[in-house]
Amino acid sequence: MSTTCRVAIAEDSAILRDGLVHLLEGRGFTVTDAVGDAEALHAAIDHDCPDVAIVDIRMPPSFTDEGLIAALELRRSHHGLGILVFSQYVETRYASELLADGAEGVGYLLKDRVADVGDFIEGLRRVASGGTALDPEVVAQLMGISRRAPSIAVLSPREREVLALMAEGRSNRGIAGVLVISEGAVEKHVASIFMKFDLPVSVDDNRRILAVLRYLEA
Amino acid sequence: MGTNDEMSLTTEHFSASLASTARQILREPFTRQAWSELLYLALGSLLAFVGLAFVLLTMAIGVVLAITFVGLAVLALSLRSARGLGRLNRRLANSLIGEQIEEPERFQSRKGFLGWLQAALRDQTGWRSVAYLVLKAPLATVSIYAALCLWLDAFIYFRSFVEGQQRLPVGIVSAILHTSYATDGSWGTMSRISTLFLAVILLLLAPWAVRLAVFVDRLLMRALLSPDSTTVRVRSLEHARAVTIDESAATLRRIERDLHDGTQAQLVALAMRLGMAKEELALPKKQLELDRVRALVDMAHAQTKEIIVELRDLTRGIHPPALDVGLAGALTTLAARSSVPTDLSVKLNDRPTPAVEAIAYFCVAELLANVAQHADATRASISCTQDGDHLRLIVRDDGVGGARCLDRGTASGGLRGLTDRVAAVDGWLAVESPAQGPTVVTVDLPLAI
Repeated sequence: MSTTCRVAIAEDSAILRDGLVHLLEGRGFTVTDAVGDAEALHAAIDHDCPDVAIVDIRMPPSFTDEGLIAALELRRSHHGLGILVFSQYVETRYASELLADGAEGVGYLLKDRVADVGDFIEGLRRVASGGTALDPEVVAQLMGISRRAPSIAVLSPREREVLALMAEGRSNRGIAGVLVISEGAVEKHVASIFMKFDLPVSVDDNRRILAVLRYLEA
Repeated sequence: MGTNDEMSLTTEHFSASLASTARQILREPFTRQAWSELLYLALGSLLAFVGLAFVLLTMAIGVVLAITFVGLAVLALSLRSARGLGRLNRRLANSLIGEQIEEPERFQSRKGFLGWLQAALRDQTGWRSVAYLVLKAPLATVSIYAALCLWLDAFIYFRSFVEGQQRLPVGIVSAILHTSYATDGSWGTMSRISTLFLAVILLLLAPWAVRLAVFVDRLLMRALLSPDSTTVRVRSLEHARAVTIDESAATLRRIERDLHDGTQAQLVALAMRLGMAKEELALPKKQLELDRVRALVDMAHAQTKEIIVELRDLTRGIHPPALDVGLAGALTTLAARSSVPTDLSVKLNDRPTPAVEAIAYFCVAELLANVAQHADATRASISCTQDGDHLRLIVRDDGVGGARCLDRGTASGGLRGLTDRVAAVDGWLAVESPAQGPTVVTVDLPLAI
């Protein structure tokens, strides 16, 4: 929390947009711009590039997936810009499109997560610094697809839990907190998962996620 | 002075319109329409003669051989070709005289040769095409004769005028006249001018005779070459079904959008406020600022009330609770909520089914919304009466008028949508809205579907 994190917001519901601005400014974020549609988002980011953009999927004019398209374009055009897609639904297709180019600086959260302010802020910071924040719902759906893949059968139930939490973007300490086990135990599970998947162990959080997602997309 | 001017104006106007009518009459024989009608008469008649001959011949063969299977097959083939002839005739009429007749239902064969035979022999469209050919042949004979008389004679008299013959040439008309008036083989002499006069009269009459013949043919085609009443009914039901399905899908989409953009967003914002308040409260006592928490709770409270109002409007839009009591009560609420002062009179002896009540309610709601938005009216009235087993709704306003049923998606698309929805339950909607108003929309619905 030493440096201020700069955020742009694209959300068509005025009440939610204002609420977010209020929330983030109260938590020491700098909101560079808060807009209501994808076109304005592009303009805002070209004008003053933030660390991370919060993008609603459904925005005018057609209220379908304007936000997602904008997010994909921004990911390609602005390297290093974190994108947190913010939606009231989890669509598996959206998640896989978003993660197709890797998981660095990507988030996909349900809007309700904002009610747990602490978690939301943490996720946003993670995305801003190049990490990942996936909604448990997103992870569950992606796991649902890949459950058919034979490789997941080799994991124990506990390892599957750890893998899901890893996919959400959590650190070992975070996972230990959620599962109420020691960090050492988590490390053992992670090592075991990587071994079973034939993935080289790495201390880098980001590469962990990439590895997990590569597996999830398979 | 003023009256004089007006009179001369009227006279001028009258003579102008007389001149234009005269010009039209004089031009008639040379219009494109006259010639394509003549062409249609010729080709259509040819088709009818050849077609009838073919169909009758094959049918006769079929009947003679009917004792064997082959006879029935020939008969079936004959009916199938009659169907084809009907289609050819429809195309000819469409391209030459612009008569657009809907295609009848396609021939539906059943399985196997026997199935095909049965379907072909029972094919209503085929039999009706035969009936058309049978009636068309005499019509064609008479009309070709009449057209030939007029056009040919006009030509013959013109020639005699140009060549300056003194004796009246023998045209077909004069041949008829000749038998009734003259006995000595000649009809006497005529001046050149009279010949010209006769030619012009015949020329002017000719297109009208053809038009009359074509008109009778149009009636025949509409009666016998169009889809039969069952097909028409099936098509209208299919259309109604499509409209109903689209309507309900659109309604669901609208509700989803209202919930997503309205209520759900509000609730997320509410949860966010409460989450912030919760975090504030979790701070150590020293840093706790009760005023900030209070402000957050106040906002959350106000927002909750807004959500309740929004949800109430939304549920009312899905099914107005007042309808449970009856249409009269629901319409009273509608009239009272209308921004334009609205009178209401409801006289119903029987209660319509819930679905009809709902349609009636939403019609009135939409029409009143139109009045408020477009009509610029000072008063409106709703009348709801029973007419036998039908419900008659009349919504009137004293506004600017000019309302029309346009396609969906345009300004008056709502009216178009209503028309479709009403038609889906065998009702109808009529709009009467002259440019200066007033607008009267009448909706007729069956009491029960």
